[in-house]
Order: sequence, then C-alpha cells, then structure tokens
Amino acid sequence: MSERELLELIERYHQHQVTSSERRALEERMAADPIFAQRVREVELFTAALQNHGRQKSLRDRLNQHHQAWQQENQKETTPPVLKRRTPVQVFMRRYAATMGVAATVAIVTVFSSLLGMEMWRSATKQQTARYVELRREVDDLKRKQNALLNTNPVTPKASTLNPGQFSGTGFVLTSDGYFVTSYHVIEGADSLMIENKNGTKLKVEEIYSDQVRDLALLRVTDTSFTGFGKLPYSFKQKESELGERVFTLGFPREDVVFGEGTLSSKSGVYGDTASYQISIPLNPGNSGGPLLDDRGNMIGVISGKMLGVDGAAFAVKSAYLLTLLDQLPEHRLPKPISLPKVNNLAGTPRPQQLKKLQDFVYMVKVYN
Amino acid sequence: MISKALVTDAAIIEGILQDDDAALSRLYKLYFSMVLFFVQSNSGTEDDAKDIFQEAVIVFYEKIKAGQLELNCQIKTYLYSICRRLWLKRLSRSSRFSHGMIEDTESELAPHVDAYAEQAEQNELKFEAMGNALGQLGEPCKTLLEDFYIRSMGMAEITEKFGYTNVDSAKNQKYKCLMRLKKLFFLDYQVPS
Repeated sequence: MSERELLELIERYHQHQVTSSERRALEERMAADPIFAQRVREVELFTAALQNHGRQKSLRDRLNQHHQAWQQENQKETTPPVLKRRTPVQVFMRRYAATMGVAATVAIVTVFSSLLGMEMWRSATKQQTARYVELRREVDDLKRKQNALLNTNPVTPKASTLNPGQFSGTGFVLTSDGYFVTSYHVIEGADSLMIENKNGTKLKVEEIYSDQVRDLALLRVTDTSFTGFGKLPYSFKQKESELGERVFTLGFPREDVVFGEGTLSSKSGVYGDTASYQISIPLNPGNSGGPLLDDRGNMIGVISGKMLGVDGAAFAVKSAYLLTLLDQLPEHRLPKPISLPKVNNLAGTPRPQQLKKLQDFVYMVKVYN
Repeated sequence: MISKALVTDAAIIEGILQDDDAALSRLYKLYFSMVLFFVQSNSGTEDDAKDIFQEAVIVFYEKIKAGQLELNCQIKTYLYSICRRLWLKRLSRSSRFSHGMIEDTESELAPHVDAYAEQAEQNELKFEAMGNALGQLGEPCKTLLEDFYIRSMGMAEITEKFGYTNVDSAKNQKYKCLMRLKKLFFLDYQVPS
C-alpha cells in the first residue's frame, strides 16, 4: 500500500466511508502502533484545520459584508470622531473643564461679593461721616467716672451718689410758674424726668406736650416743694434772626454747665429744613434742648442736633415754632395758662453778666427709663 | 429589560444555529459600536476594533456551532469582555508602557474570558498560517485542495475540471499538494504545547 493510498484510506476512515473489515484492520493497527495512531490523528487534525479555514473564510467574508453595511449606516456618526485628533489644548480642556468651571464660579462669586461688600461698607461709612445726630447724652458709668477723674470741678458728691439716669440733655425755663422746654428726643421713652441746675437744685417734672416733628417738648414742674423759678431774664423772639448774628448757648454736655458761642450761619437746617437754624457752635451730646440766645438776650431757638463729619454745623429749632406750638396747644391740656415773659433783662449787659443771670434758668434734664 | 435581553440572546443563538445571516447582522448592529467605543477610547482605530470584534465573533460562532458554548451571562457581556481582553493583550504586546501585565477587574468572568481570548488568538494564528500556506502553494494546487476539502467535490468532478487523464493521476496530484501544504503550514505555525 503506497503512502497515498494509506492517506486516502485514513481520510475515508475519518469520513466513515470504510468497510467494516478495513476499519477493523486500521483500528487494530492503531492499537498496536502508537506512532501510526498519532499519524492518523494528525491527518484528521490537519484536514479539520483545512476545512475550518474554508468555513472561517466564508464567515469572515460575511462578517466583512456586515461591517461594510454597518459602516455605511454609521458613517456620519463615526467618522468625524475617528478623523479628529485632539490637540493638547483640547485634551487639557476636556480633562480640566469641570475644575476650571468650578474655579471660575468661585472666582466670580468672590469678586462680586467683595465688590459688593466694599461698596456697602463705603456707603455705610459715607453715611456715617455726614450724618445728623441728636445730641442726647447717653450716660454710662464708665464715661461718668472718666469725667469725674478728668474734671477739675467735680460734681458735688451728693449728686454723684444718686442715680444719674440713663440719658441727659439740657432744658430751660419757659415761665416762672413752672413750664419748662427741652427737645423731644431727650425725653423720648422716659419713665420719669428730673431737672437739675448748676447749684444742684433738683426738681421733678412731667411731660405736658411734645411735638415729634419739630422736636420740642413742653414740661412742667410737679415738685410739691416748688415755689417758682423767679423772674425770667430773657424774652422770646417772634421774628427770624438774621444771618451772621452772634449767638450763644448754655448746656450740660457733662455734669457742669458749658458755654458755647458762635454765629448764626444759615436760616435753614439740615436737608433744607426751614424750621431750624444752622449755627456754628461746637456742641456735644447733652447740649440738646438747650436755649439759643442772641447778643441782646433774646431766646431765638432750641438746640436740636448736629451734622457728624461736617465742621461746625449744629442745628437749633427756631423760637417762632416754639411759640406757634404754644399758641396751638389746646387749653385743656394745660393745667395753667402760659404767660411768657415780656421783659428782657439781659440786653446791653456784658456776656459774663448775662451768663450769671442765665445760669439759674438752664437745667440738666435727666431721663430715667 | 433582562427578559428582553435574554430573548434577544436566544434569538441570536438560534439564528446562528440555523445559519441565518440576519443573526450575524444583528450581532454586528447591537454590539459592534460598544467594542468600537472601547477600542477607540483606548488608542485604537476602527480597523483594530473590526479585527478584534471579528475574532471574538468567530470563536463565539464556532462554539455555538459545535454546541460547546457555556453562556453564563449576556452575549453583550461575553463579547465585550472577550474583546476587551483581546485588545488589552494586543496593546500590552505593542506598548512600551505596560510590561505584559493586564489587570483584569472583571474577575468573575476572568478564567473563561482568558481561555476564550487564548482560543481566539490561536484560531487567528492558525487561520493566518493556513491562508499564507495556501497562498504560497500556488495554482492549481490551491484550488484543487479547496475544491476537495472545502467545497467537498468528488475526485471524478475534479479530474474533469482540471483536465487530468484519469482519477488516479488527480489523486496523485492531490496527495502531492496536500503534503506540500502540510509542510508550508507547519513552517509557519507552531502547534501550541
């Protein structure tokens, strides 16, 4: 049997196309000869490989067709991303876009909030630099102690042992029988009121009427031991005073009476308020409610406040408004009719003499609440 | 959702068993883009994706045909993990970064996947070797062998087609061709030990 015939026999054996005698002979030989059996197996494997190759080739062709079909279908979507090679910048952007977004947001928020904050701070400070303040004095313990230490003229020990009240201002006598005037904001929210002058005379007073708009308050002495203030040295001026007139005031920015002098610098007050004068007298908290007098001793106004951050701009409510207020008061609100002093004792006397007479009629108003 | 996927999988397997071309087409449509995306996002091209996918599909196909398929997950997962493994292997072979180490995070499937990937690669090598050997064999040997072994033509038919004087000389010719092919094939291809 030639090699070729043997191969053909083996092939037929694998294809199960052998006669039973041939098969028996082959199988016997395979059992006896392992090398021959190996050869039979190899022939089978190789044939299988060859056949497999053919099958796979057709399968591959089919797959390629499907691939082409798929490609045609998806050409538009797939090709651009394949062709486009990303530049380093794009890669960077892709990787860090989210981080940069967050950073930018934080930066924007920070910038705007700080800008806004600065703007608000600036406007707040601006407001503070030119602000109208009422000159009511807030009495706190520390301030008072400092005052006591610094004062060359300390207050009387008797006075200082008493409750100093929470706020203080200045006020002056309106009529000799017990009417008294101060600023409304001094006594605002008061439970009880006391007035005390330079000599330490203390009187209990009560509120009769107050006008918030003009910032005026009318008080009356209720003390049982009170007999009268005595004859008033000043009178009240009905007409408006002229620009440049020399004016002065007495007040209690601290425990002692303080004199202040200046000129009438404008006939209107803060924000064009025609009910007030602007005066160039240095004033401090506690001056509120004090009388404003001209050279001849006429009462021309009631000190009300000053402008913070503006030099020498203090304000006083015109006496004319005080007088109209008194005129308009309903009679039944008054326990006694008001009779204003007509005679002026101050005119023509030098300033120290005027002040000496005046001192007894200017009081510190103490507010308890 | 799951039942739908299972139905799809079953339909595909059934289609392949019945030699339905639509099943292959379906397989391509459903899963190729997934593999393409994976390969492209791992520095490959569309052609690489095609090769990898086809390798995987051929193993899959033949396993179904031979009835050896043990599918314990969806076809999608199966194909994806094989393609992934194949591509990573190929990358690590050509890459200067990795040193032949592939960390497979999908450890659940790993043993099977490894075996399948190995098989797919062997299959590819064998196919290539056989293709090369047939190419080097030249005509008419190539056509003769293909006719006999692949197209299953009878020797009488072949004798007639190639104009041999008788069946015996055709058989002789066939034997010589087969021996040469064997030689050429084993020059190129090492049987895995």
